Formats: sequence, C-alpha cells, structure tokens
Amino acid sequence: MAIKLEKVVQTFYENLEAGKITGKKCTKCGNVEFPPVYACNKCGCWDMEWVEISGKAKLHSIVLPAALSSKPEYKAMGKFAYGEVELEEGTRLNAVVRGINKKKRNELLEKGLPVNIHAAIWQREAGYKTVVFELDEE
Amino acid sequence: MPEIMNQTHPHPYSRGVSIIGVGCTPFMYTVDNEETNGLTEGELYGYAALKAMEDAGVNPQDVDFYFHGEANPYAQSNYLTPNVQIANWFGMKGKASIHHSEACCTGYYAVELAADLIASGKYDCVLTGCVEFGDAYALEDHPYKREKLPMEAFLAKTKYLYERPYTRSLMAGQELIYDDAAEWYKRTRGLTDQEMDDTLNWMCINNRRNASVNPLAIERRTYEQLAQEKGFDNVMDYMRSPYNPKMGDYLRAGGIELKCDGAAAAILCATDLVDKYMGNKSHKAIEMLGAGSAACEATTPHFEVTATEEAVRQVYAMTGVKPEEIDVFYANDFIITSHLVAAEAAGYLPWGEGWKYICEGRTAYDGDKPINTNGGRTSFGHAHAASGLADLYEAVHQMRGEAGEGQMKKIPKTAMLRGYGGAQNICTYIIRTAE
Repeated sequence: MAIKLEKVVQTFYENLEAGKITGKKCTKCGNVEFPPVYACNKCGCWDMEWVEISGKAKLHSIVLPAALSSKPEYKAMGKFAYGEVELEEGTRLNAVVRGINKKKRNELLEKGLPVNIHAAIWQREAGYKTVVFELDEE
Repeated sequence: MPEIMNQTHPHPYSRGVSIIGVGCTPFMYTVDNEETNGLTEGELYGYAALKAMEDAGVNPQDVDFYFHGEANPYAQSNYLTPNVQIANWFGMKGKASIHHSEACCTGYYAVELAADLIASGKYDCVLTGCVEFGDAYALEDHPYKREKLPMEAFLAKTKYLYERPYTRSLMAGQELIYDDAAEWYKRTRGLTDQEMDDTLNWMCINNRRNASVNPLAIERRTYEQLAQEKGFDNVMDYMRSPYNPKMGDYLRAGGIELKCDGAAAAILCATDLVDKYMGNKSHKAIEMLGAGSAACEATTPHFEVTATEEAVRQVYAMTGVKPEEIDVFYANDFIITSHLVAAEAAGYLPWGEGWKYICEGRTAYDGDKPINTNGGRTSFGHAHAASGLADLYEAVHQMRGEAGEGQMKKIPKTAMLRGYGGAQNICTYIIRTAE
C-alpha cells in the first residue's frame, strides 16, 4: 500500500465530535495504535486501517492530581486520577480516569489492580473533544 | 518493559575516545547577585569551555569542532542559533558547531555526540559545552540585562515539552512526570506510603549533604541545619512537616529541582592522541566506553523507567561492563525519585533494595554506593542543559581524586551517568579511568 499524506489527527478529533473513538489497526500484525499514527510500532508496517475501539479497558496504576499536577480546567472533571490504561485491543497509554479520589483509590488498591474502566468523550475548554476513562459500575 | 518497545543495538566505537578536560561554572541565580547579574551566554559558556581547555592542556586552535547545548535558547536567550553567537568568546571564531537541545537531557547527549563524532574519525578533538539561564530570561532589545523567571512561569512553559496532537489533549502524560516513578516503585516493590515518603526525603537529605561540601553547588545548607533553625531536633520530623510540603501525590517540595543558571564543558579526543593533546598534564584521561539511548514520549506508561531500562541494556551490551563494576552513579534527578529508579534499573543498587540503601545514607558521597556526589538537581542545582556536563565534571574530579572535601572514600574507577529529560530522552554512558 502506498504511503499517504493523511490528516490523521484532524480525523481522530472529527470522529470524536461524531461520537466515535478511533485508532489505527495494523493490517499485518493486528496491533492497534491509539491514538492513531501512520505506522505500527510493533512490526513497523505502514499499512494501517481506521478502527473504532471498543472502549473497554483496564487501569493498572493510580496517581492522584496535586498542586503540581493539575490545572484549573481539570476541576470540571470532578474527582479523577492519572494512570496506565490498557485498552481491550491491547494498547497501553497514560490517561485520565474519572471517579477516583483518595478514598476511592484506597478501596481500589485494597481490592487489587487492575480495575475495569471504559472510555468516554470529554469536552475540553479549548473547544475540542478528547478521551478520558471512567470506572465501570460495580 | 511494555509489550511494544523497539530496541536498538549500538556497535562499539570505531576508535577509542577519551575525556581529557572538564570545566564548570558555579551554579547560581545570576540576577540575585550583583557580581553575577548581567552575565551573558558567551561569558558563561566561554568560561566553562576555556576551563575545560586549560584542564585538558589544549589551545582553542587545537579543537576541531564544538557542540553547544541549551534547552530553551528561544525563550531564555532570544536566540535561534545560539551556537553561532558564542564561538568568538573562546577563540574558535570560524570553526563549525552544532546546537542541540534534548531539554534536561542535553548535557548527557552532549558527551555522546562528541564521542560519536571523534569515533567516526572525522575529528580528533572536540569541545562539548552547555549553558542555561534556567532562572532568568533575556530582556528583549537589551545587550545583557535579564529578569528573574518565577517557577510558575517556568512550569507554564514546560507544556511545550509535550506532544501537541494527543499528549497535551489527553491531559495525563505531562502530569505524570512528578509522581509516576514513585507510584511505580512503591507498587512494584511493596512499600508502604510512609516508607516511600521517607525514601524520597532521604534522597533529598543525602543530595544536600553531598552539595554541602561542593563549592559549585547552589544550595549548601544541610537539612539538619534547616531543621535546627526551625526548632526540630530530628531532621525527618522537619522533612515530614509543612516546611517541606507535598507538591505532588508523593513528591514534596525538597524533591524538586532548584532551577538556576550555569554552564559546563568537556574536551574529548581520540584515545590514541591523548599524549599529543594533554602534553605534560599529570592527570589520567577518562575513557568513554559507550552510550545507550532511548526515548519514550509521555503517553508511554512509565516512560522514565521504560526508556532507562532500554538505554541501560544498550550501554552494558555495547561496553561489556557489568553492573557490579560501576563505582559511582549519577542520575539527572530534577524529580528526585529518578535517582532511585535509575540506580535500580542500572543494577547499581539491587532490585527492590535501593530504597533501603538510601534510607541508611549509603548513597551519600561517603557511603559505599554513592549517587550524585555533587548534590544532584535538588541541591547542586539545575541549569537545565548544563546539568549533565556538571555531573561529568564531578565524576571526572572524583575519578582523579580531586573532589576535595566531597571526595569518595575509595577513588572510583568506573562511573555511569544517566541523563533524563525533554519528555523524555534517556542517555546513559559509562566512563572509566585509563590504565
């Protein structure tokens, strides 16, 4: 397949506006790149196709925001944490997970990681949508 | 190591490379002091470069090429091509140079770049230097005046370290720099919150103890002194008090860099030409054995640990050196957790046991496993690009037995330096005193 000069980033954000969370899947090895990029970081193949991710994921680590690691805009998210997220498709990335404060973290750590979460679309103040995650209902 | 992590397998150098001279300014808050207020880029870099040449026994005309590192020349110095603007200051007018920035990792890549250029055979003798005004920015349209850069203004600029299309939008990678390594270490080693807090505090105490005997360090008051001044009998009570507040989920104020101004430089040459360049200098050359490098942008989970493990794997494979041969370890620790996780990743401290070495004071300059004998970023200071070469300056002085009051008990023969920064580059290299 020919290498294409393609607006991947803009398409990703336009898909979010349409309610779809998308990545790119390698046609050779099946690895899913999220967020989407040109080439597969697992096998190096650049024949990638758009794919909608399921949104199912697991949370492997929990770091709470603090004075140095938060922004005024983030208050709108309510209680939240940062952590290592593993998508059902296998991709791992750092992301925001809503619904966690100190008390909730203690409860989750007591039960043990990973914790089931799911992706959600979140409106940023700058006028675009992004992806955050939320705890699954128990 | 995550499921996906590409690897590189660097080859040994095509010819030997040695470090023959080092130079370093004091790390300072230039605008706070009448004696230093008004110093410029050429003056700081030029001082460090000439000190390195003097130390090596070379003349500027002996040097074939130079590298110039500065993390943020546009914002701090109003320069787009800072390397070109300073050559006249140290007698190298007309000679070629390259500017590079890997942010806080710049001063470590500075050594690797110079070594690579000599090993290629193109040049025999190369200057590598870095300068940073981390605490002051140049006033527009004035030849030398600067203004203080408050921490808040500095942190606001650090967002430009992170990838624009996704990482900044996702809101997590740039915030995890402060606490991800501590969370990871505590969870994977099974520490309690108290043990992790104590470990972070002991790293600050040890770093400061090292800096207290280093004349170039920016902060030399020990935490014991600070605790006494505030009426604490026990230093750890002070470290756990509001005088050392939590700024992150785990990180306290004492574990954050002291950003400042400074410059440092080194002269490297082909090992088979050491005698030619060093002439009658009595000190031994330090051989550059090899370097390993990796980079993980901030969306990568546990980016610092992941990239460090890969870089360390490379440098051990390239050099054949074993972890037990490392006598002293340096880690860029602008977030203090770095020196713990890097030392364990390098095998310098045993897996899961490093925190105990730190809490027992064994990693101070007079301990049996010294780390950051100059005080690291939280006490020696952090003149961003220049910090890595300041670490090399310290390592070389330790290896020559010229570290003064802060000299290690046993003169180290082999050192590892691990650079980190720029969201996030890792550059790790090993040096050894020539036989």
